[in-house]
Amino acid sequence: MKKSILVVDDEPDVRQSVKMILEMNGYRVIEAVDADDCLKKVKEEKPDLILLDIMMPGTPVGEIVKKINDIKIAFMSVVRISDARKQGLLAQENVVDFFQKPFNVSDLIERVRLHIEQ
Amino acid sequence: MDGKKFSLQNILFSKLNVKITLLFFTVGILAPSAAIFYFYLITVSSLSESIPIEQAAMLRTVAITIIILIAVNTTLVGFLISKAISKPIKQLYSATREVEKGNYDVKLDIKNRDEIGKLANAFNKTTAALARIKDERRELDSAKTEFLSITSHELRTPITPMKAQLQMLEKDYFGKLTDKQKESLSIIIRNTDRLDNIIVDFLEISRIEAARLKFNFVEVNLAETVRETVKFMEGFGKEKNIELVVKTDELPTIEADPDRVSQILRNLITNAIKFSQENSKIEVEAKLRENDILFSVRDYGTGITPGDQIRIFEPFYQVEQHSKRKYGGTGLGLAICRGIVESQNGKIWVDSKIGRGSKFFFTIPLEPVRDIKPIKVLFSQKAVVEKKIQEEFQTMLGPLGNIEFNELKNKNALGKEDLFKYIDSLTDQYIITNNHGLDFKNHISKIFGEEKELNHNIDTLYRSEEGLRRD
Repeated sequence: MKKSILVVDDEPDVRQSVKMILEMNGYRVIEAVDADDCLKKVKEEKPDLILLDIMMPGTPVGEIVKKINDIKIAFMSVVRISDARKQGLLAQENVVDFFQKPFNVSDLIERVRLHIEQ
Repeated sequence: MDGKKFSLQNILFSKLNVKITLLFFTVGILAPSAAIFYFYLITVSSLSESIPIEQAAMLRTVAITIIILIAVNTTLVGFLISKAISKPIKQLYSATREVEKGNYDVKLDIKNRDEIGKLANAFNKTTAALARIKDERRELDSAKTEFLSITSHELRTPITPMKAQLQMLEKDYFGKLTDKQKESLSIIIRNTDRLDNIIVDFLEISRIEAARLKFNFVEVNLAETVRETVKFMEGFGKEKNIELVVKTDELPTIEADPDRVSQILRNLITNAIKFSQENSKIEVEAKLRENDILFSVRDYGTGITPGDQIRIFEPFYQVEQHSKRKYGGTGLGLAICRGIVESQNGKIWVDSKIGRGSKFFFTIPLEPVRDIKPIKVLFSQKAVVEKKIQEEFQTMLGPLGNIEFNELKNKNALGKEDLFKYIDSLTDQYIITNNHGLDFKNHISKIFGEEKELNHNIDTLYRSEEGLRRD
């Protein structure tokens, strides 16, 4: 069965681009538009990995990350990793990676593969 | 200094008290004395016989007693009145001291209705206005920060899908491409990255200017940071077969921001690689000094002309490159490094000689700075430096200094090396003493933002331990 990835980003073009990349590499993609939507989708179906944007309208991302402990999370953001660390977003054990936007396509695929294949 | 002021304040107030009290005391003695004296004169002259000795003695005693009693009473009253006057003045003074410190929440509670009371009212109104301005300022600052972070997000957001789609196209995700098509895409992708870098750099500079730089101070051993950074940069040097060598002192664990130090080192090493030939080496050092750590990045590349040396820390200033480089960076790297270093009260400078190479230095204080101050990055250093040199010439050489300065300026010989040569010629011709010459050179060095002090040995040629060897 195909592995599934939940892509959370408020920008439709970013969601679509990431979806295209992942689908062309054999993954099934679920989309969410913000933190609350992410929680909703996680309850419906548990993905193998969550690609999570940081700066989105609505509930702050930090709050919902606390509620998700059993799924691997990789951040994808323009925010610098050092700033994200300062905000305490990288503390949880299930946070496995940080993609700086704009990301490199081969880089993204390589690291996603690594995390999903465990 | 403060102890002196405090006792001065005390004396001032006791002076006022003393003055008024003394005044009343004087009046209290003089008035009754004068009264009694005249009374005595008039009484005695109007009496036909002289007064018996016992009565005269008793009169004298009474007179003196009256004078003393009145003097004491008057002095007491005087003292109380002076206190009443000086108390509100003292309150006004302490309130003003608070305002001096920046605390605008003081309120004077002086109930006099005289001029002092009116002064107190005016004072209260002024501090209220100042407090309001302070609040407005704070609101403006937080609006600025919010603007910067929103702008950062907005400007960089479109680049993500752009780059992703372009890369997918280039990697044949949507069908096989011809070589020409791939090359075209590669140019577009490269420039997309370049655009992103410029935006990032520009936002960094905006933050530096507004003192909004975010520092993340942690306990860290910067020697580790240096080693890790150099390791990370090794790959970049491989293309030109450049060796990266690290040499650090034993550094103590201090509070610093390792990401920022790494950022500066990466920038300097990138430049060093750019300007080095193939098969050369780059030396990265960290030295422990009394109050700071001195970092340096030394390359054996083309070197930097004196004219460029003054200007390379300016934003967008890029040295003329005669090699076949396709893209030269944003020209903001060194300006950002300077902003980061100077925000922390450090210093950054370069020592270089054409054909020999360059050594970039920067310092990080051992004590982390608590107040990040805004640094002016976006204006030309050159004019400022020239003005300072001109002033130095005038100080050192008097009216002749101006003429000499203009001559050198016309020959475009205001670089540090040229100035040193000129100063040497002055000492050689005994126009100024050797010590004068060394002072002159020290001041010039300081203007160029350097730290090393030259030694005051009469027979010492210019030689600095951190500079380049001239043999």
